[in-house]
Parts: sequence; C-alpha cells; structure tokens
Amino acid sequence: MTTAIVDNLSGRYVPVDVAEYGGFSGVVKCNDQHLDRYVATKFIKDRIEVDRIKDEIAALLKMRSKNVVQVYDLISTGEDELGIVLEFVDGSDLLDSSSHPTDKDDLLRVLWQVASGLSDIHDAGLIHRDIKPNNIKVDPEGVVKIFDFGLSRETGEEAKTLGFKGTIGFAAPELYSNEVVEFTQAIDVYAYGATALYLATGDIPKLLRQVPPRLAPDDVFNGTLLQGHGELIDLFKSCFSRNPEQRPSISKIRDALSKHLLFNKHQALAVSNAKTHTLDMHNRSAALSLGNIGSFNITYDGFDFRLQNVVGEVSVNDTRALSGMAIPGSCVVAIGDQNRHNWERTYITFDVSNPEVAL
Amino acid sequence: MNGPHSIGDVVGGRYIIQGFLGEGGMQYVYLADDQVLGRQVALKTPKNNSAEKRFHRSAIVSARVNHPNIAKTLDYIESDTKSYLIEEVIYGDDMQKALLQKVDKLDPFLCAKVFHHLSKGLAASHHVNVLHRDLKPTNVMVSGGINIEEIKITDFGVAKLAEGEIVEAAEGGHDTISASATAVGALPYMAPEVIDTPREVTLKADVWSLGAMMYELICGKKPFGTGLRSVSKILEGKYDEFPEFITSNRQFKSLSEQLINIIEECLQVDPVKRPTADQLVSKCSTLCYPVCKRLVGNIKNLQHNSYGFIFVQGSNDVFYHRNSVYGDFPSVGEPVMFSKFAGGRADRAYPLVKLKS
Repeated sequence: MTTAIVDNLSGRYVPVDVAEYGGFSGVVKCNDQHLDRYVATKFIKDRIEVDRIKDEIAALLKMRSKNVVQVYDLISTGEDELGIVLEFVDGSDLLDSSSHPTDKDDLLRVLWQVASGLSDIHDAGLIHRDIKPNNIKVDPEGVVKIFDFGLSRETGEEAKTLGFKGTIGFAAPELYSNEVVEFTQAIDVYAYGATALYLATGDIPKLLRQVPPRLAPDDVFNGTLLQGHGELIDLFKSCFSRNPEQRPSISKIRDALSKHLLFNKHQALAVSNAKTHTLDMHNRSAALSLGNIGSFNITYDGFDFRLQNVVGEVSVNDTRALSGMAIPGSCVVAIGDQNRHNWERTYITFDVSNPEVAL
Repeated sequence: MNGPHSIGDVVGGRYIIQGFLGEGGMQYVYLADDQVLGRQVALKTPKNNSAEKRFHRSAIVSARVNHPNIAKTLDYIESDTKSYLIEEVIYGDDMQKALLQKVDKLDPFLCAKVFHHLSKGLAASHHVNVLHRDLKPTNVMVSGGINIEEIKITDFGVAKLAEGEIVEAAEGGHDTISASATAVGALPYMAPEVIDTPREVTLKADVWSLGAMMYELICGKKPFGTGLRSVSKILEGKYDEFPEFITSNRQFKSLSEQLINIIEECLQVDPVKRPTADQLVSKCSTLCYPVCKRLVGNIKNLQHNSYGFIFVQGSNDVFYHRNSVYGDFPSVGEPVMFSKFAGGRADRAYPLVKLKS
C-alpha cells in the first residue's frame, strides 16, 4: 500500500494524523476543509479490494441506524484507488478496558445499543462478519457506533469464504475451516456474545481463544455486573452454541436488553373513585376489594404489574381476571359484574408507564 | 418550483434536484439525489447571496453537532454563484405541520416524549458550545407524524444567518421587529435577553425557547401570545397561566404537573436560574410515559354522556371513556388520536385527544 492516496485526498480532506494500516486497508484521520471537522478516511489501493470497499459502502448506505457509523463521501484519486469518508468518532474503542462501563445500567445501555445497531445491520440483510470490541466506539454523547464493514457481505448466495477470515476469540467455530465456508448472520451473534462477555468480564476466557474455540464455561458470567439478570445471561450463553441455528436472533437479544433496562423502573397509576395511588419499585403492591363481591392484589415484579389472589367478580377491560395475569398498559379493572347495580360495582383505572431509554 | 432551481438541476456535479421541500425566511430547501452515494439528501441554499460567508460559518457550526436528535450535516459546497448545505433528509414535516396543526393540545405523554428528545439534542449541541438561537416549531423535524418516530432539531445554520437581522430588529425597537419576518416568527419563543441584550446571549436562551415550545404543545397556545404585545410580557417573564384542563383530569395530573414545573423553570427571566440542557435531560429522563403506537379514528357515538366507541378504518370499533380524554371533549363524528389496549368486547382507547378537523 502506498501513501499516494493519503497525500492526495482530493484536496478537501487533509490528513492530521499518521495513517494506520489494518488487514485489508488503511485509515487516516483528516480534517474536512469544507466543514472544518474531523472525518475518518478509509482508503484502499488494490483493484480487488476496491470492489470490497464498494461493497462496504453499499452495505452502509442500505441502512439508517443510530448505531452504525455515517458515510459522508467517496473519493477516487486514481485508477484502483478509492477512499471512503466516514464520520469520525472521538474516543477509544471498546477494546480499551478504560472505556468499559462500570455500572450495570451503563453496561446494559452499551450492550443494548450494540444489539440495536447489529439488528439494523441484519434487518438490512447484511452480515457484519467482524463484530468485536475494536470495531465499536462510544461517542462523546454516549451513542454506540459500530464501524469497519471491511468484511461485510449480503446474506445468501455470496455468503461464503475460502479459509479463515476473522478474529480469534470472536469468530464462530464454523468459520475455522480450510474449505469453502458458508455462514449466516449467526456468526455475528456468536461475536456479539463474545463481545458481551469481554465487556462484562474484561477478558475472553482461554477456552474461547482456542482454534477452533471450545465451549464457554457455564459459570462464565458469574460475579459480573449482569448477575441477577438470568434471562440475559442465558441468552448471551446461547450465543456460543456450536450449532448456528441454536443461537438467538440479535433482535431477540435487543428486546430482552430493553426490557431489562427498565427493570424496576415502571410505574402504575391507579385511579379509583376515592383516590389516586402510584405503584412502583418502592410501593410494589396494593389490595383492592368491594365488600364480598370481589377482591384482588396487584403486585409489581420489576417487569410487569400482575394480578394475584383474584376472588369473586373481577374483570380487566371486560375480560374475566385470572390470578397471575399481567395487566395491559392501560386498563380498567372492574369489581362487580355487569348485571349488578351501580353501587355494587367499582372501577379502578391502571395506567402503566416507564421512563424512555433515549440515546 | 420556488427558488433558483428546477427538477433535474445538477448541483456541484453530484446532487440532482428532485423536488422542492420548502422555504424558510432565509433559505430554500430542496430534495436531491446524491449521485456519489446513491441516497436522498436535503439541500439548502440561502435566499440572500450576500449572506454566503455567514452561511458557510453556520454550516461549520452545525456540522459540529452529532446526535440522533439533530439533523446531520453531510456536506457543504460552493458553486460560482451559490453555496449549499447538504443535510440528512427527514421524511416528514416540521413540528408546526406534524403536531401543532393536527391537534389543539398535545397530551402530556407525547409532550414528555418530545421534551425528552429535544432536550437530548439540545444538550448535545450545548456540549460542543453551539447555541441554536432560533428554536421554534418550524425548526424541528418530525417523521412518523403523531407517532413521532424521529424528532430532530434542524437549521442551526439559519439561526446564525438570522442573527444579524434579529439583533438589528431588537436594537431598532418595535418598528424593525415588525418589519423583519424572521424576527416575528422567532418572537414567541425568544428569550428576554435576546430582545434586551441581543449581543450577550448564552446557551440558556435555547432553554427558554424549548420551554416556550413545550408550553405551546401542552396548552395549545403560545405562552406570551403573538405579535408586538408579547414583547413586554416576555421581558417580564409573564406567561399566561396554565389552563385548568391540563391538571383537572386525575389520569394526567401527575405527569402534567411535572411538565409544568420543568417548563416554569425554563421560562425564568434570569438565564442563570434556568436549568442547563443537561439538567433538563436528567429531569426528562425520569418522566414516565407509555411509548405506544398512536392511531386515528372518528368518534362514532356517546352513551350516557360518559362512554362510547371510536370508528377506526379497517379495524374494529374501539371503546373510550370520557375520563381518558385530554383537552377538549370530542363530539360525535370528530377525528381523534389514541393508543389502544386489549379488551374483552372491544379494545380500550387511552389517552384520547381530539384532532383538528
């Protein structure tokens, strides 16, 4: 690779740092003279690799994601030379443990954003192929950005490669082969699981760094910030399944994370004729009754508000209430059936809400 | 098509004009196709060519802000005679058209969502020391209509561009303010210090403007009215009292009161007393509001003056109770928006807000 393209970034993009060379390309921080801001220019000087970078751009432009780095421009400075001008994300990548979240909410937020970005990538029918902490940054506003689509491919026919391409510790077992390897989005899910493990523990265990990787130990998430979120730990562990088809979809992981981000943060406003009550993590349950016509308890379990000990005539939005059922986001609970007199019926309105996790 | 361009014009050898998106006081906005990257963009060019230097400066300023609640600046180019700012295109309308022209009063849930996201965007711009200076509903873009899928502050450029005119208008007094279309449009959201000491404006001026916008959303009217009569009220910080309907319904009272408190903090004459954008974010991030899809229908009937059904195109009727209504009670036949929740004989609507017919 020569430095010609770095010296001649169409006059507009002036390098302000030394170029770094990776496996297939180089990248240099530049100043965009038109907008006086930093950009990251990725360049390539090889016919075959130019085709690859064109794939990368097409891949990036196919989606609109808050968590995937933005493309600004494409420059060509000569035959077989191409540069892609990308949003510059300030700060260190997630390989650097000093940038790791140290509190549980922050960790869940980062993992949720990585999962959101990766779902956007998969929804666009793409496979990133190189998900790892080095290819993820958190910008100064706390927004996660996934970058380096150098290996990305569309799903389907073209999704095969000859020989191993990837990063040990993050590459799924099916990629370790000397034959033509066919792969699916599940390789990104494997890499996501390894990334989650790295962020939670600061390391990738030896077993996973073998060639090919062995199974992760069962207690691998014990003692981490994720302790107490069993559902998440199970999902992350299933990312390491040998059988790609047994790994969860990334959107399932994203949705579970957004659910756990709101753990213990919901509130339910209960309005009856007599008064207004708020139920939340501090005030988890209430008992309501009307004479001997009907009674129930409502209890917050950190995710849902559930009816318990339902006795007599109780209905939720006109459906017979059952113990254990979670109430919908907004409902009227009636005690006393419809054929009763007005004074033998009472209504309680419940409205469930929560803080929104906004980027 | 308005302005200097027609469909098919090529700008900077790269952007092909595809349509006209609108115009503000200072600029024309076109939809263009970026030939290099194969995607659609918004292309803005100033109406007044003499403002070009400031237009470039403003592009540089807006390019510094990078956040999901801010329209992204993608490019800036100059041709022989004109300059252009290229921004991400937001498929939707400005907040004036998307919300204020659709509903008289926005329910506190949707208000809280708007407040939360706009304060996030504002905080990102204040972190890089960028003052918008002209925050108003027409400078906020919304996609997804009443469902507010995306909400982004735009036109940092115009703020800088209009600066001279606003300072001139403010220093020239009433006559010049009424002569300046830009100043008149901004006035209802303008902080007192922007009028009083226009050359000494801090980031807190944006906090005031955001508060004034939120007042308008939740109350259905501007806090200080419009026109020149509002000037003395703004200078004294005397906004009209919050109407009773905002808190009279127990279903909405708690969130409404929290919103009113935050708005009141924003509308303090002394900029130092107003919260910072970061403080606004932390207040808004604790607000509880359901994030549910909003639907549109028409009131089908009203029984015993207390409940009835909503007709929804292509789906079953939805039950409503008058306690679920925020703002004016809709009459039979009138359009409404609502979220719905599973119910036995019919789904139940909550909250219910009357739409403008």
